[in-house]
Amino acid sequence: MRAQAMTMSLTEDQRDCYQEITNVAMGQAADRLARLLDVYVILPIPKVNMISASELHMALADTATSDNVSAVCQGFIGSGIAGEALLVFNDASFSDLAQIMNYKGPLDQHGELELLMDVSSVLIGACIHGIGDQIEVSFNQGHPVVLGQHCQVDDLVKSGNHQWSQTLAIEIHYEIENLNISCDLLLLFTEDSVAKINQQVDYLLD
Amino acid sequence: MALPVLICDDSSFARKQMKRALPDDWDIELTFASNGVEGVEAIRQGKGEVVFLDLTMPELDGYGVLEMIRKEDLPAMVIVVSGDIQPDAQQRVKKLGAMAFVKKPIDKAKTVEILTEFGILSES
Repeated sequence: MRAQAMTMSLTEDQRDCYQEITNVAMGQAADRLARLLDVYVILPIPKVNMISASELHMALADTATSDNVSAVCQGFIGSGIAGEALLVFNDASFSDLAQIMNYKGPLDQHGELELLMDVSSVLIGACIHGIGDQIEVSFNQGHPVVLGQHCQVDDLVKSGNHQWSQTLAIEIHYEIENLNISCDLLLLFTEDSVAKINQQVDYLLD
Repeated sequence: MALPVLICDDSSFARKQMKRALPDDWDIELTFASNGVEGVEAIRQGKGEVVFLDLTMPELDGYGVLEMIRKEDLPAMVIVVSGDIQPDAQQRVKKLGAMAFVKKPIDKAKTVEILTEFGILSES
């Protein structure tokens, strides 16, 4: 057990490289959102870590507040690397989001779902492709799945069926300037993919 | 005389990538800085006549570096190399006096194009 934990760690160079690649990809995603909504998206430095299934809960709880959240997940796969993108929206974001997206319908469960799907397709798609382009992997995306609406982070974590002990997690926090809109994008790679994606990154570092 | 060129980025990978994107056989004296404070200090010492500057950095970010350059009237031609490519970011750095804005990841062709455009690299 201990030996396994030791092999699954990142070197400083690898972490730095993941951060920089993510930084570029999230910038591309933010640019698409900024042009679509005519806003400025605040971009912090992304967090890159090897986490265990139990730490996933902490990662999510850290990002989302005690407020209710809605979440979408979407799988991606390519060149032997697979993972899930998880987008967690703070429910307080929806009224401002509806306004800037010029959404005219009633802001009920269905309306919020539509907004959630629109934003997640932009953010997840651009980010996954941005990372793929840089590590020279072409990712195919699965269908987005709603994990829950108006739920607590606890419920989200329980709804997932985590068959892994430790994996690579990239956390990105997006906020829109001057508006009450914030969300977290979490990229989780499968345990089996870590060696392969590390290899792609090492190739860049060479 | 070799041209003093500064690469200012907090990521060692990004600094390496930027170095690889510099033109071949360019007669320069290259300096690296890993945050804005180090960057400004290097420019003050005359090590950055041409600066390749990242925006998102700890200590002092790229916007802060541009403000310092303007405030102290330092002789630096700044090319912003950024992952944040939103229209607003581009306008902000141009207003702060950056010469050019290039999106990451940068490559050699783009660097040569910009340096040539501003007459820093002469066509030979």
